[in-house]
Amino acid sequence: MKILLVQPAPFEPGRIGLENTIWFCEPVALTSLAAMVPEHEVKILDLRLEDDVELVRVLNDFEPDLVGVTSMTTDCYQAKATLQTAKDVLGDRVFTIVGGHHPTLAPEDFEDPVVDALCLGEGEDTFRELVTHLATGGDPRALGGIAGLRFRDAHGSYTTSDKRAQSRSLDSFPAPARHLIKKYVKDYFFTVAGPLASMVTSRGCSFDCNFCAIWEFYERKTRFMSAKLIVDRMEALEERMVFFLDDNFLTNRRRLEELCDEIERRGVKKWWGTQGRTDFIADHPDLMRRLRDAGLVMVLSGYESNEEDGLAALLKRNTVEKNKKAAATLMDLGIFSTGIFMVRPDYTDEDFDALYAHINELGIALPMISILTPLPGTQLYKAREHELLTKDRRFFDLLHSVLPTALPRERFYARFAEANRVTWAGWEKANLAVLKNRPRFVLEALPGIARFIARARHYRPILESAETHLRDEVGIIDPNARLAAAPRKRRLPLVEVRKEVA
Amino acid sequence: MSRESPLRAAWETVSDVAAAHRAVAGVTRALAKRAPLVLGRRPAYEPEREGRGAQGGRAFLADLRCEIERHAGVNHPLLARLRHVPFTRQDYRVFGLQHYSLVGTFTTYLEHLLVKAPSSQAKSWIAKVLVDEYGEGSEGKDHAELYREFLRSTGSPEGEEYETPLHRDVTGFVAEHLRICRDEPFLVGLGAVGPGHEWSIPRMFPPIIAGLGAAGFQPDEIRYFTLHVLQDEDHGSWLEEALATFAEAPEAQAQIRRGALLSLAARARFWSAVQDQIVRYRQPENVHLRAPARAGSSAGLLTLREWKRKVQGAGITAASHT
Repeated sequence: MKILLVQPAPFEPGRIGLENTIWFCEPVALTSLAAMVPEHEVKILDLRLEDDVELVRVLNDFEPDLVGVTSMTTDCYQAKATLQTAKDVLGDRVFTIVGGHHPTLAPEDFEDPVVDALCLGEGEDTFRELVTHLATGGDPRALGGIAGLRFRDAHGSYTTSDKRAQSRSLDSFPAPARHLIKKYVKDYFFTVAGPLASMVTSRGCSFDCNFCAIWEFYERKTRFMSAKLIVDRMEALEERMVFFLDDNFLTNRRRLEELCDEIERRGVKKWWGTQGRTDFIADHPDLMRRLRDAGLVMVLSGYESNEEDGLAALLKRNTVEKNKKAAATLMDLGIFSTGIFMVRPDYTDEDFDALYAHINELGIALPMISILTPLPGTQLYKAREHELLTKDRRFFDLLHSVLPTALPRERFYARFAEANRVTWAGWEKANLAVLKNRPRFVLEALPGIARFIARARHYRPILESAETHLRDEVGIIDPNARLAAAPRKRRLPLVEVRKEVA
Repeated sequence: MSRESPLRAAWETVSDVAAAHRAVAGVTRALAKRAPLVLGRRPAYEPEREGRGAQGGRAFLADLRCEIERHAGVNHPLLARLRHVPFTRQDYRVFGLQHYSLVGTFTTYLEHLLVKAPSSQAKSWIAKVLVDEYGEGSEGKDHAELYREFLRSTGSPEGEEYETPLHRDVTGFVAEHLRICRDEPFLVGLGAVGPGHEWSIPRMFPPIIAGLGAAGFQPDEIRYFTLHVLQDEDHGSWLEEALATFAEAPEAQAQIRRGALLSLAARARFWSAVQDQIVRYRQPENVHLRAPARAGSSAGLLTLREWKRKVQGAGITAASHT
């Protein structure tokens, strides 16, 4: 059976170019699926790196029997357009399937004649069973026996099969089929690190932040890959720099210690980065030092807010104090800190001032300011869906406010757009610490630093212009939409909201 | 327009060859003064696809139709996006201002071909399509007029279509077709306007119509598009009859196919250009990996008014946009 797996291309509006400047990650979901069906002929097409008409060329030349596409929320339309093109070129004989977070959490967005099936939840076993079924002549409209699917049945109606259990040990999955993306690997990066390989060593998160759907996707369970297998996979990578895409890598102290032991014992020389919570960093400075010595150079964390009630409203279960301690720890160790902060739509000028002052005080190497966005599938979405100014999924990119703002939109975006410029002091402080503490990494990353500076030079004027955001919204979001005057605390997505939803 | 038996309608037209000739005689004479009759420079047949051997005219055309229906020009990702992405009237305004430059030029391609058509029968087929393009089936409104009505419904003010900078691959599309119809052998031109246009438009326009509907356009605002799906199916059939009379010899088949593929290659570039303009309207500068935009990147682009002046200065009659 011939299988084509596609990472859809971004198509604006809705993208300001973040992924082309800060973080451009390999399609791990697709290489993981491909690894499950080694007996079949599989191609992976990363349309973010291809000319638009390449999809049509590959469809014509390869003539796949199945086309699969992955989709985050903002990719929703692009994913469907990809499958539309597959059906247009190859006709109804090609089977089409979409998987990923957004199809799992908002399947209604994909119920379309060009989508034969949606893979709900973790995809590997579902995909393998589906391919086996189709390859052995199984009826493509009779998929009820395969758990984890929503599919078009013989009558053209969508039917959902049994839920797929997400309990398989991560060590039992085969290594992602990275050889299928060989032509692209030099193009993946995270800030100054690149070429960059990406790995997933755990799935799920035990926290329940109301703006995040990871814990819902993985049903509040977390599974871990063993330290030994992580290092096996690291050693097999050609790239010197690796990013662990885990939703919350810094969570299992014992596993992290074993990882350090294993890396030290085998003498693995890789630079690596990951994502983790600030409370763990703050509470485990010694372990962070060991991780640093084992090659950790970058940590991306959600600091989210400069206010205790702001963190509480997000159900973050963290404190501003821990954020401060984590930033200090990372700076002390010379670990490049990327911090995500959320601007709430109800922000006033004073709120913006306070947040930016806080970021400067923390000293974050790369502060990434986003806008609080109720993503489909989250508790926040359920609580605030009625307030949305648009359901156009391109705008759920954390860079547009899909909720009414307290400030006039033009003013709101002007304040939002100045973030980079006014947080320079903290940026400088943190980066000097990296430069001082990690000269070998900095030296090795010089080509990546040069590329990053070139990209950032072009990107900054775009990011620092309110016009960038407003032009995207023309004809879609009313530029005069304002949050009605109300006590500020009441407008927050308070903890009580969750109780109301329940 | 009735979709019943287009072939019968075509035969009825052909039976009145004299009337069709009269309808276009003026055009023929006018063009003949400008360009000498070229009945076809036929290069040696070089099969471009492995395995394509000699085959009958009908079989060749059926094969060619399949090839066209799977071509990137006909299945450009922009078309699928129009169907699925919630574009706005403003986006379609940008789309239309680029697309408009193609609208009035199709008749010019046909007029060039009419002069070169090697037989009365071929002339009559082309003439029938021309008469339709001049306004048959659209209450006397020619296609450019219908399209301007669509543009006004997008919010585009009167005259904006002449003053909007056109992407190079938009003007390139028209220039390529003028070149094909004027300088290439007759059958290459027929391949470009027949299979290249009339077979592809009924496949390309439905997603556009779906997108326009989703953006809130009313049926009377998008008549240009709906009319074309119906009309071009008829035109495609008529031209297929004309092609069938020529497509027996391998050399002729190669020329027809070459014309169709040249047209579709230009079409794929055209759709990419339109998409580029839609993106750049909202993001004049961006840093996307595949097609980064830079400030001032539209410098040097010609408006439709400027481009027409330039083309006419070169002795080519292009377009009846006004």
